[in-house]
Amino acid sequence: MNAIADILFGGLFQGSLYAMMAVGLALVWTTIGVFNFSHGVLMMLGAYFAWQLVDWGLPPALAFPLAVLLMAGAGWLLQATVVRPLIGRANLVLVVVITTLAAGSLVENGVLELWGPRSKQIPPLIAGNAMLGGVGVSLHQIAIIVVTPIILLALWLFLNRTRLGLALRAVAQNEDAARLVGLNVTMLYGLAFAIAAALAALAGIFLGGYRFMTPVMGADPLLKALIVVVFGGISSISGPIFAAYLIGFFEAICSYYFGLYWTPALLFGALILTLMIKPEGIFASRSRGLA
Amino acid sequence: MSAVETSAPTASAPARAPGRTPWMTELAGALVGLLVLALLPLVVGDAYGRHVLIMVFIYAVVASNWDLSLGYGGVFNFGHLALFGIGVYAYSLLTKLAMMDPWVALVASGVIAVVAAVVVTIPILRLKGIYIILVTFGFAQLVMQIILSQSDYTGGTQGIVRIPGLYWFDHNMVRDAKFAYFYIALAMLALSTLFLRIFVRSRTGKSIVALRDNEEYAVSRGVSLVRQRMITLAASAFFTGIAGAFYAAYQRNASVEVFGMSLATIVLSMVLLGGTGTIYGAIIASFVLTVFAESMADFGAWRPMITAVLIIVVMLVYPGGIVGMLKALWGLATRRRA
Repeated sequence: MNAIADILFGGLFQGSLYAMMAVGLALVWTTIGVFNFSHGVLMMLGAYFAWQLVDWGLPPALAFPLAVLLMAGAGWLLQATVVRPLIGRANLVLVVVITTLAAGSLVENGVLELWGPRSKQIPPLIAGNAMLGGVGVSLHQIAIIVVTPIILLALWLFLNRTRLGLALRAVAQNEDAARLVGLNVTMLYGLAFAIAAALAALAGIFLGGYRFMTPVMGADPLLKALIVVVFGGISSISGPIFAAYLIGFFEAICSYYFGLYWTPALLFGALILTLMIKPEGIFASRSRGLA
Repeated sequence: MSAVETSAPTASAPARAPGRTPWMTELAGALVGLLVLALLPLVVGDAYGRHVLIMVFIYAVVASNWDLSLGYGGVFNFGHLALFGIGVYAYSLLTKLAMMDPWVALVASGVIAVVAAVVVTIPILRLKGIYIILVTFGFAQLVMQIILSQSDYTGGTQGIVRIPGLYWFDHNMVRDAKFAYFYIALAMLALSTLFLRIFVRSRTGKSIVALRDNEEYAVSRGVSLVRQRMITLAASAFFTGIAGAFYAAYQRNASVEVFGMSLATIVLSMVLLGGTGTIYGAIIASFVLTVFAESMADFGAWRPMITAVLIIVVMLVYPGGIVGMLKALWGLATRRRA
């Protein structure tokens, strides 16, 4: 009973974090066709913004949304400086990988310079602990498990039920056609990055609430998010979400039975197997687009 | 623009347009370049200056070999630095634990890197674009995780220290102001460059460029995507592994930092800054970036930030890289004269 509760809880919790990260990556990929390698750094920056705002005396209920909003702006700025000017370049995918990596390194070192290497922590969403099926868990983690699906559902509703969301999906499906019917594609590119950065910031705040923050805290979640999007199929939103929880559970099971050290190797093995059997990801249909 | 076009590996280069350089001209140019480099220790007498040059040569080998798979092969291979890291650790373990002769270990590290490249090629044989990036990136992380987890042998996060260095008969390589290491590194770069240039000018080299530029057409003309891709990655691995081994022998310590993102970013920007699909471009860019970074040693934490800004600006302003820029200048100059 204890083991099952442990795995279930760990899987749900890790899965939530990965889902938040992976959805942002997939959103940017489907709309613009580039891969944002500074996504992990955005996550870290969001956490530091939140910490700074709390440190200035703002209550978390105000500081957290404000940090997310600031990060949305940062995401917009990022695409305006290192992505949009490159659109139309023949080797766009490759060049954007390098520019986002460089931008990430810039931000990472900037944070190190500005806030120093000392570990920081931001207040949890809800303080306190609880017993659940014989496992001691923090309410903060429970809150994340509950809040994440709500946020993802809201995103899904936004993409499927609002004009703006539909416009984003239109760009993802056919950019030229979207431009022809008068959509502001440039603005929508910015929007995709802004939403992705905001989601990354949320993940950063979640993570910073129970683990110490460092300037390199985004590296591991980025790697996991990459695995998730490969696993789930990158060209949809729902695929990565399911895959995120699947990977979360896979990780929880592996680290329970094989230990932490072997988990990455097993994860990678599973990834290679998936790619050899179904290169487009296990949850991807043949068609493309946001769904 | 968007996701559909991942099929075309378009790290395109302006290199093969009309008027390919005749091989005699190229050889003469390369020899002159080599001679200039070989005479550099006469000008650069201090150990520090030579150290910078040795690092330039190591980077140049890694970057130019990366250009083979990335620029010529059009394979978005992000695990190239892992091959370098494998060379570092292969040499360290072979000389320290297996007590192998350093020179034998140097070559063995290259072979081990080739084997690793073949292994990582298997899952990416039928993949395209972004998926190759993701898998090879994951491969690099996996190698790092394995090294970290086997801390009994690899020292984990502590790394390995006091690795046996190379030797040259009875010559004392520690007290010669890096004289011998300089020439070994230069020889490594010369051999690697010779190998790369012969490779890309060969039939195989032409076929991998054909695959990059028009996969369907090349395949329909009988070029095997699977075989050529494997050959490309294996070929780019050999000198990369040797460079890693040399790095370990020269620095005499190894750490997992060689798998880190920052080193990968810098070397990748050497490839892109030089201009993909040129080989020489990567070498020139290694020189420019390393010397630039060293000259800013006083800036401390600002150095990686300035480098990052520089990379972004060059990517935005000059898509063809340094070689593209030189070609444009050359074209301008010859037109004036005519």
